[in-house]
Amino acid sequence: MQVMTELFARIFGDGLSPVGLLVAGGLTMALVMSLVMALCAIVFTWAERKVAGFIQSRYGPMRVGRWHGVLQPVADMVKILGKEDIIPRDADKRLFQLAPFVIFVGSLMAWAAIPFAPGFIAADLDLGLFYIFAVSSAASIGILMAGWASNNKWSLYGAVRGVAQGVSYEIPLALACIPVVMITGSLNMNDIVIAQQGGIWRWHFLHDPFLFVSFLLYFVASIAEVNRGPFDLPETESELVAGYHTEYTGMRFAFFFLAEYANLFLVSCIATAVFLGGWQPVFGPVFLPGLVFVTKAVLLVLLQMWLRWTLPRLRVDQLMHVCWKVMVPLALVCVLGAGIWMLATGQAG
Amino acid sequence: MSETATGRGWAEQDVRRELHSELLEINMGPQHPATHGVLRLLVRTDGEIVHGVTAHIGYLHRCAEKIAEGCDWRQWMVYTDRFDYLAPINMNFGYAVAVERMLGVQVPERAEHIRVICAELQRIASHLIAIGTFGLDMGAWTPLLYCFREREEILNILERLTGGRMLYNYFDIGGLRFDAYEGFERDVLDFVNIMEQKIPEYDTLLSYNKIFIERTADVGVIDVATCRAYGCTGPVLRGAGVPFDCRKDDPYSIYDRFEFDIPYGEGEQGTVGDCWDRYMVRMREMYESCRIIRQAVDALPGGPVKAEDLKKLVKVPQGSLYTRTESSKGEIGYHIFADGGSKPFRTKVRSPSFSNLHVIEKVGPGMMLSDLVATVGSLDIVLGEIDR
Amino acid sequence: MEATAIHALLQSRFGDAVLDYVDSYEKGSLVAAGRVGEIATFLRDDATLGFESLMSLTGLDWDGYDATGKGKSVDILGYDELGRPETSDRVGDGDLGVAYALYSPRHGHKHTLFVRVPRAAPEVASVAAVWPTAEWHEREAWDLVGIRFAGHPDLRRILLDDAWEGHPLRKDYAMPGAWQGVPLDGRDYAAGKWTEADVTLPDDVKRPEDAKLPDTGNQG
Repeated sequence: MQVMTELFARIFGDGLSPVGLLVAGGLTMALVMSLVMALCAIVFTWAERKVAGFIQSRYGPMRVGRWHGVLQPVADMVKILGKEDIIPRDADKRLFQLAPFVIFVGSLMAWAAIPFAPGFIAADLDLGLFYIFAVSSAASIGILMAGWASNNKWSLYGAVRGVAQGVSYEIPLALACIPVVMITGSLNMNDIVIAQQGGIWRWHFLHDPFLFVSFLLYFVASIAEVNRGPFDLPETESELVAGYHTEYTGMRFAFFFLAEYANLFLVSCIATAVFLGGWQPVFGPVFLPGLVFVTKAVLLVLLQMWLRWTLPRLRVDQLMHVCWKVMVPLALVCVLGAGIWMLATGQAG
Repeated sequence: MSETATGRGWAEQDVRRELHSELLEINMGPQHPATHGVLRLLVRTDGEIVHGVTAHIGYLHRCAEKIAEGCDWRQWMVYTDRFDYLAPINMNFGYAVAVERMLGVQVPERAEHIRVICAELQRIASHLIAIGTFGLDMGAWTPLLYCFREREEILNILERLTGGRMLYNYFDIGGLRFDAYEGFERDVLDFVNIMEQKIPEYDTLLSYNKIFIERTADVGVIDVATCRAYGCTGPVLRGAGVPFDCRKDDPYSIYDRFEFDIPYGEGEQGTVGDCWDRYMVRMREMYESCRIIRQAVDALPGGPVKAEDLKKLVKVPQGSLYTRTESSKGEIGYHIFADGGSKPFRTKVRSPSFSNLHVIEKVGPGMMLSDLVATVGSLDIVLGEIDR
Repeated sequence: MEATAIHALLQSRFGDAVLDYVDSYEKGSLVAAGRVGEIATFLRDDATLGFESLMSLTGLDWDGYDATGKGKSVDILGYDELGRPETSDRVGDGDLGVAYALYSPRHGHKHTLFVRVPRAAPEVASVAAVWPTAEWHEREAWDLVGIRFAGHPDLRRILLDDAWEGHPLRKDYAMPGAWQGVPLDGRDYAAGKWTEADVTLPDDVKRPEDAKLPDTGNQG
């Protein structure tokens, strides 16, 4: 928000009170973030289909927009806007209508604390990392609302699975970030990024072996957290039809979609900021920080897509097994290990 | 089976009664992505654990057996195409062999060889779909597309040969409807050469994938006794460790001349007769089919493709006969009753998927919902032949 | 074992229940309908026979079967040129029957059991307890031919709708004109050629507005 408030201050000079500056900056930032989210969904739906096509030895969309179907998402959006908004007769109407927005808002709120570039952060919170984990769990509520309100047994299955998975995987997800917090001594996202200044060897994932494992744990847990293959149990195509969003159509369905891709990018952004040096380049001085950040995050997203289109899906008990019996203990070991490492190398204050 | 066993034990505890909870009845199908057609499974579940499965079939029923009573012997061949629409040639083959046995017709050598080539190509095509859709049931999308890539080649050959891509109606009583086109052997050999190289690709992509093994090994175990009792045949029976194949054990056509092995499940990744074994049997059968095709192409003689002493309107002498042949899904049997006329008096089609599906009611209870999907996928059913 | 030997063994064991030796393309025995169950159990369990596999179970209607072998079986009823279901005064006669195609995986021999039951009381002992696969095959035979299987655990229609009238594979089966108010005659009734008066509905089949579909389970 710094960037925005400075910008407004420069434009209006003293014409705007500090409160006014804050409000104007905040609103602009919210708008920018919403646009980023929408852009994510647009770019990533296209990318997903292209990646899937590439992996599956076919082309993917090729027609709309002349060059490799670049306008396909636009066509999809127009189509989805024109769809009838169907609410099942026996559905709980209010919850049914509200659910997509709860999921969407939960995702949007988390964006506030992502540092895209020096100063380009909507809310430079001291508890940034904590805040992100807190608000992004709101998505679980939305999933449960959607599944329950649909009054469809398959949706309910998807919702229950989704919530169980979301709640479980938040634990390794957060635990995996704790070693980083220990090293930087801060939950502030900016501080975490700044601590990684000075080339790839200073990035947290290469800090010590325990952090490298933590990074892998974070990456796996994040895939599960956003319900994507091989952990896409809440919407298992072949078992639950489409899971919690089976009954949704039109724009409401689009919101689920939007939230899914926004979340995908969000967890990649967090990984970038926490483990992969944020806007810090591989070597040399800071250069085009926003672009560096987005490039790293997009590469992570592509990696997630690659996994999704390659691996089969786990079963629900195996999923829980991986979480509680493998990842959580391993994450705890990493926390302990990272602490010992700090003591041994004299980094501990 | 450890998970499923504990699952059943858990459910049978008094916990449920204390919680006053009920079983959830849920319809899997008739419109459901995992049922491979219009099949409806009424599943009673307790959370993720299945307590009972009832299969409701008949959505595709056309009473082809009644239609048979109004067709003459040759005409009904068209309807056999429609049973297993993923392997129509194998269905044709069974009916042709059945009627020819009753007639005592000698099919020309060339026709027999082309029949075997077509049937084995079709078997590969059908297994490719079985493997691909099974992967899809496990959430692996990509193998399906690779399988379709190779299947496309088979369809191209069969299209050039017969004019159809899905329903061929190529076999005739006493031979084939017409001879193969120029260059058929070359096309087939080209395909076999490619196919044999592609099978290891599927292995790396799916068969030995850790998650895939976790999902399929020890899941949906169907042992030999159950197979015998429920009449399961084909890859389901062979997956249970019995090297039984009608092509070898009840030979028909010219299969006794070819050298090939019968793959069977050995429980490499888990228990004998689990989903992985059934899957792997299909995978290995594609190799064997390639071997048979090579030999058949090498031995392909010239000459006519129709039995010459056969009239247009066939009349089958009185009597009955049950004939079984090996389709890609299992034993396809035609129990034919003839009264000496130009129309079949009664033809009963014993379709492999019909019996293979029945077993789900037996093995389903105690599984997890995802395992049920996996097991139905591994049975490789086609509703066209179940409902007929 | 040879089919004649199997037949002799059955005869020595069951006496009157084994009626005749069937010598067709396939060899088999004609047995009494009421005792199929015990004969089946013997066939499966006897060590020298070992018929563990019931390959197929066929229900059939012998009505119109031409014993002379000239093949003049009765014509099945279909629809006339106007698309109306054909009707006929002929009431079917002749027995109904069941054929069991058996195979012994242990010894590799085959045998076919035949059963004939009077049309008026088509009841055969069920073999579902002997070969579980018969459960569905018997349901099919009941559904399409209308043979009752005594002792079957769950004898209901399998391929047709639970409320279907008649058994289509009977030779005297007439096609229905409509099914729950939907005409089945294949004519283009959207073009106005069909009126409700053209279709005679069976008494207990109701028009769509008051038709109550059988309750066959919950909504997904």
